[in-house]
Amino acid sequence: MTPILEVRALSKQFRSGGLLHPSRLHAVDDVTFALRPGRITALAGESGSGKSTVARMLLRLIAPSSGEVLFEGRNVAGDRRRRDVLRYRKHVQMIFQDPFGSLNPAKTVRAHLERPLRIHGIVGRRDARASVDTLLETVGLVPAATVADKYPHELSGGQRQRVAIARALAANPKVVIADEPISMLDVSIRIGILNLMRDLKELEIAFLYVTHDLASARYVADDILVMYAGQIVEQGPVDEVLASPLHPYTRLLIASVPDGERTLEPIEIRKGTAAAAVDPAPGCRFVDRCPLAIDVCRRETPELVEAEPGRIARCHVTAPRQREDHLHAQPAA
Amino acid sequence: MSQLQPALELAPPPVVSKSRLPIPGWLELLLRNPKSRVGLAMVGFMIFVAVVAPLISVSDPTGFDLYAARQAPSWHHLFGTTDQGSDIFSQVVLGARRSLLLGAAAGALATVLAATLGILAAYSGGIVDEVINFLTNVFLVIPVIPLLVVISSYLKSRNMGTMILVLALTLWAFEARILRGQALQLKNRDFVMAAKVAGESTWRIVFGEIMPNMISRIAAAFVLVFYVSLLVDAGLEFLGLGDSTHVSWGMTLYWAQTNSAVLQGEWWPFVFPGIALVITVLGLTLILAGIDEVSNPRLRDEVRVRRHLLRSLVFPSRRAA
Amino acid sequence: MTLAFSVTPDASAERRTPVVELENLVVDYVTRTQTTRAVDGVSLSIGAGEIVGLAGESGCGKSTLGNAVMQILRAPAQVTSGRVLFDGENVLGRRREELRRFRWRTVSMVFQSAMNALNPVMRTGDQFVDMIRAHERVSKHEALGRAGDLLELVGIDRRRLRAYPHELSGGMRQRVVIAMALALRPELVIMDEPTTALDVVVQREILQQIRELQTELGFAVLFITHDLSLLLELAHRIAIMYAGEIVEEAPAARLRDEPRHPYTVGLLSSFPPLHGPVERLAGIPGSPPDLAAPPPGCRFHPRCPHCTRDDAALYARQVGERPLLRVVGEGHRVACHRETP
Repeated sequence: MTPILEVRALSKQFRSGGLLHPSRLHAVDDVTFALRPGRITALAGESGSGKSTVARMLLRLIAPSSGEVLFEGRNVAGDRRRRDVLRYRKHVQMIFQDPFGSLNPAKTVRAHLERPLRIHGIVGRRDARASVDTLLETVGLVPAATVADKYPHELSGGQRQRVAIARALAANPKVVIADEPISMLDVSIRIGILNLMRDLKELEIAFLYVTHDLASARYVADDILVMYAGQIVEQGPVDEVLASPLHPYTRLLIASVPDGERTLEPIEIRKGTAAAAVDPAPGCRFVDRCPLAIDVCRRETPELVEAEPGRIARCHVTAPRQREDHLHAQPAA
Repeated sequence: MSQLQPALELAPPPVVSKSRLPIPGWLELLLRNPKSRVGLAMVGFMIFVAVVAPLISVSDPTGFDLYAARQAPSWHHLFGTTDQGSDIFSQVVLGARRSLLLGAAAGALATVLAATLGILAAYSGGIVDEVINFLTNVFLVIPVIPLLVVISSYLKSRNMGTMILVLALTLWAFEARILRGQALQLKNRDFVMAAKVAGESTWRIVFGEIMPNMISRIAAAFVLVFYVSLLVDAGLEFLGLGDSTHVSWGMTLYWAQTNSAVLQGEWWPFVFPGIALVITVLGLTLILAGIDEVSNPRLRDEVRVRRHLLRSLVFPSRRAA
Repeated sequence: MTLAFSVTPDASAERRTPVVELENLVVDYVTRTQTTRAVDGVSLSIGAGEIVGLAGESGCGKSTLGNAVMQILRAPAQVTSGRVLFDGENVLGRRREELRRFRWRTVSMVFQSAMNALNPVMRTGDQFVDMIRAHERVSKHEALGRAGDLLELVGIDRRRLRAYPHELSGGMRQRVVIAMALALRPELVIMDEPTTALDVVVQREILQQIRELQTELGFAVLFITHDLSLLLELAHRIAIMYAGEIVEEAPAARLRDEPRHPYTVGLLSSFPPLHGPVERLAGIPGSPPDLAAPPPGCRFHPRCPHCTRDDAALYARQVGERPLLRVVGEGHRVACHRETP
C-alpha cells in the first residue's frame, strides 16, 4: 500500500543559549516514517521527546530545519503558494489535546463545522446545514440539530472532543493527526473516543496518534513508533513491539506503565530524561540509563536497523548493524 | 432507560438571558453588575439629554441679552445666564451633544486602530509585529497634552473632525499595546491553531477567531478613550484653545473663567457644566469598573465576599452562608 | 538509581487502628443562587500505615473530600455536617490555632502540581526551613540539616537545597513536595493526584519511592486519583467515588477480581490492557451527573446497564431510593440495589 504521507530524515533544531554561547536544541532528529490509508500509527514518547514537534511540523505549524515531507509522493516542505498550502491543509487535519481550548468559546458548534466546509469549498451555503448534521451524526453527537446550536461551554469534555473530531473530518481529509486526544478526558469517556477512532479507519483515513499512553496506543493503533530525545528508537507493529520490545527504553516504558493485572515488581530506574538534548554528543542518548550499554554505545550513535522483518530499532546491542547487513547479505562497511 | 448515547446528557448552560427582551448576553451581564448598572444609567441619562436637547433648550445658547446677563438660576433660566446673557441651561444640554459625540467618535476610531493593529501584530509576529511595535512606541512617546496644545494653537480649523482625529491618533497607542498583549495570549490557544490548520486566512483569524474573544477588553478600551477624550477636550477648551463659536461644556467653563465669574460670586457658570462632566465621566468610569468585574471572575468573587462581609456586619443576625 | 522493595498489597484485611475516621461527611458549595452537594454522606476509615486509594472521575468530589479532611476548604465550600475523627477527636470546627498545629503534624498534603506548592522565588532549602520553623522552635541551622535529611530520604542530593524550584525537573519537584509533606512525621499524608502531571517513567519512580517511604516510616496515605490502574498496584484498599458518594470499597485485589458495583466494572473496563487479548471495550456511556441536580434514587442509574424496566420492583428502587453501603464480603462494601434481596 502506498503511503499517503511520508517523512524522511525530518529534523528540527531550536536555537537556545545566549549570544555568547549559542547552542541548538535538537528537538527532532532524523525521523523517517510513513502513514498509510486506513491505518492508525501511534507516535509514542514522554514529554520533550519530540513527538508533538513532529506533529506540528506535519501540520505546517512549525517549519522543519531539514528533511522532506512527502504528501502523495511529492515533497511539500517547500511549498509557499496559498493554493498548494490550502490543498495540503484540506487533506491533513488535526485533533488537539485540550477539548476546551481547541474550540472557540465565542462560536457555536455549527459555526465551527461550517468553516472548513466553506474554506475548502466542500459544499455551498445551502447544503452546509445538512452536512453539519451528518458530520455530527458520524461522531455520535445526536440529536445533531440540538448539539449544533450549542456553545463549547455547554458541552461536556467528551462531546467537545467529538466536535473537534467532526471538524477535522469536515474537509474530507486523507490524514488526521491526533495529539493526545484523550489525555484530558475522564477515564470512562476515553474508550468512547478511542472506539470512534477505530471506526473511522473505515473511511480510509491515515491516522497519526500521538500519545504517551502505551495502553491506549495498543488499543487503537496498528503500528507504533517510540521516540526518545528527538529520535525514533523503535518501530513496528504495535502488538509485536509491546510483547517483545527490542530497545531498552521501550522495555523501560512498558515496565513503568501501571497495569492493574500485574503485581508490583521492583524495576530499576536510572536517572535521566526523555527530553531532547542541547548539542548532543555522539553516542546513544539512552546510554546513561541503559542496563545493556557497551563501549560502542558511548562512541557511536546507533542507527535504525531492521533487526527482523518489520521490526526496526536503534540499538547497538539488540539491533546491531551486522544483523541487517547479514539480512541483506552485504559486506560490512 | 438503560444505555445512554454519549450526546443526550448535555451540561447545563451557565448564564441564560433571563429577560425576554432580545438583549445580548454581555449587556445583560453589565446590567446585572451594580457598578455598571449605575454607570450605564448615568451615561444613558446624559445621552438622553443630548438627544432631546434641541427640544428642551428654550433659548439660543449664544444669544446676547444684556438685560438678562449674570443672572442666578431661576425658573426662566434654569441654570442662570452668562455675562453675555446666554442661557447656561441651553449651553449645557446642547453642549452634551458635542462632548458625547466627540468622545464616542474618538473612542471608536482609536479602538478600531488599536484593535486592528494590536491583534495583527500579535498574530502575525515577525516583521509585521516589529513594524507595528515601532509605530506604537513612536506614538506612545509623544506627550499627549502638549501635542494637543501645540496642534490646537496652530490649526486654522478646529472643528470637531480635526479634534476627533487628533485625539484618536494620540490615544490609540496605549490601548494597542494592551490589546496586543491579550491577543498574544489568545494566539497560542489551540482554537487559533486549529483555525490555521483548517486553512483560515490571517484576516479571518484576526477578526473571526481572536477579536470575538476580546470583546470585553476592546469595550473597556473604547470607554477609556471616550472619557479621556472628554476630559482632554474640555480641558483644552478651558485653556482657551477651543473654537469660541462652539457650544460645549469646556467653552462654558472657559467663558466663565475669562469673565471672572468666581470673583463675582457667580457659581452657576462653573457648577452646572462641571456637574455634567462629572456625571458623564463618573458614569463611564463605573461602566469600566463593571466591565472589569464581569470579565475577571476572580474579581467577582472578591467583591461578593466583601459585600457579604459588609452585609453580615450590618445584619449580624443573618446566618453566614 | 532507585530500587524498590516489592511489597504486594495486603490481601487480608488486617485490623489496624484507625488513624482517621470520616463519619457521614457532607460538604456543600453554597452560592447565592444554589447549593451543590459535592460530598454526600461519606464514611471512610483509614488505618495506621495503610494506603487507601480514592478513585473517581472529575466532579465526583474526591478532591473536595481530601480538602475537607485537611481543613483547607475555601469559600463557597463548607462542611455542612459529619465528623472527621483523628484518634477519636473531631477536628472539624477547631479554632485556627489548634488547626495550625493539627495541619502538617498529624496530616499533611501533597498536591498535583508541585509548582502550586513551591514558591518559585525562594530556594528549596529556605522553604523547608520556613515550614519547619513555623511548627517547631529550632535554629535555622538545625532546620536546614533536617531539610537535607528529608531530601536524601526521597533520593535527592542534599546540595539541591540551594536550588530554585525551576531548576529542578518535574519529578524532582514532586519529590521535594513529598519530602516537605513528611517533614513533621505526620500520621496521614493525603496525596491528590501527585503523579498525574508526570511522565510515565517518572511516575513509576515516585510511586516506588512512596511505597518505600511508607513502609519505612509507617504513615498512612489517602491517595486520590482518577487512575484506577495505579491504585490497583499501589493501594491496600480502594474506595470508588461517584457523584459525591462512595459506591464501593474493598481490598485492592478483591476490587480487581470481584468488582460488584456496575460503575466499578465500567471503570475497570475503561483501561485498555497492555498485555493479553485486545477486545473492544465499552467504557461507560453518558457523563457524570450535574451535582446541583443529581438523578433521583441511585445516582448512577441513568448510565447503568442493569437499570432496565424488566424487573419493575428493582427499577422502582433504582430510580427512587438511594442505595446504602452494605457489606458483601471481607472488607468489601457496595452501594447497589442489586446486592440486596
